[in-house]
Amino acid sequence: MNPIILIASKESGELLGSGRGLGWLLALSVILSVLALLLVSNTELSLLDNAQVVYMVMGTITALGGLLALVLGSDAIAGEKERGTLIPLLLTPLTTTQMVLGKMGGQVVAWVLMYALSLPYLWAVGSSGQNLVQAIAYLALFGTPVVLGFGFYAIGLSARFGNVRTALLAALITLMLLASPLLIGPSLRQSTLGKLFDMVNPFSAALNTFDSVVIDSQPFSMQLGRFSVTLIWLALTLWFARRSAQAMEI
Amino acid sequence: MKRIMSLFVLLGALLGAGSAWADAPVQITLTPDSHNPAQPKMGDWLKFHSVIKNTSSQPVSGLVVWISLVQVDPGKEQPVDLEDWSAHKAALQPSLAPGQSFSVDWPIRLIQAGNYRVVISAAERTASTLLASPFADFHVERKPTIESKRILPVALGMPLLIAAFTARRLRRRM
Repeated sequence: MNPIILIASKESGELLGSGRGLGWLLALSVILSVLALLLVSNTELSLLDNAQVVYMVMGTITALGGLLALVLGSDAIAGEKERGTLIPLLLTPLTTTQMVLGKMGGQVVAWVLMYALSLPYLWAVGSSGQNLVQAIAYLALFGTPVVLGFGFYAIGLSARFGNVRTALLAALITLMLLASPLLIGPSLRQSTLGKLFDMVNPFSAALNTFDSVVIDSQPFSMQLGRFSVTLIWLALTLWFARRSAQAMEI
Repeated sequence: MKRIMSLFVLLGALLGAGSAWADAPVQITLTPDSHNPAQPKMGDWLKFHSVIKNTSSQPVSGLVVWISLVQVDPGKEQPVDLEDWSAHKAALQPSLAPGQSFSVDWPIRLIQAGNYRVVISAAERTASTLLASPFADFHVERKPTIESKRILPVALGMPLLIAAFTARRLRRRM
């Protein structure tokens, strides 16, 4: 069997078979439920307010997906090291790329589950509004590279620091910074610095696309630049994870 | 306060246009499209047709025609910002010979429930008053956008489902 698939199935099996992994899914569904329940009382929304709600839920799902990827990624190599299972893993005829991609397999499964979990919520809040199908499609298209990029980034940090807590802390700080547009609205990001930050931030690219597609009903051709930003983020973080895994000290 | 002031300015302008109607060089008609839904609700599209005709013996030039929308629900009277309602907010006609006319269609997406009046206004390069069509009124039915009957089963059911699945998996492993 391909070693990448072997590691990926081991990682995803651990995620789905362990109470910890399922506990994460439960926690994520509780967060989405609370968010949805907060919206129940507000039935006097206009059509665009409804789209705003769908946009908000999409942003929250992407942030939660990123958080899950960071936690799993931070444990990927440093966790093996702390548990004393890294050396046996390195003694197998695996390349670092295969190890990184295999570790990523578990995160892909986690994100797919998280995405599937979010669909009923998106339907519940958005089915009587506008652009629900687009919302579902664009969450997959833009959310996936952003979330998996966070996963690669955390694997890279995990390899560099060799310590789960340090890697997780650094990763969380990065997530807080990149996901800040969730809290700071577009009107507050109009300074030169804000615009520059938006231009290079993959999370902003995803959020601005959700806004553009769900609220303003704009076509994919207008999202190409933002899509490139998310793909560049994915490629850079993959490179970072590989380099860090190659340079790690045991 | 600003909205009320804008409403007064708009109404004042329209009243002014009414008194000057007889001298107006341009006549504007406004008719709803025959395919418009009888009871439009949020999310529906309405279309209005307007015909702008030069009724004077002189050519008019630099004619700008635009659409305005006013909400007239008691206590909520206000001009509506058309940004989200219509992408087609104005039309330009460089010149219009005597007797000549042109028509403009105005599609509107209904964003918020309420009672509305739509009017087409025009400004000509030399005319001293605003030119306006008669009002067209319409009512937009409310459409519940966030429904508890849809959210509650999902919000309560999903965590319960995952909790049950988790408990079953863990019990099997023990």
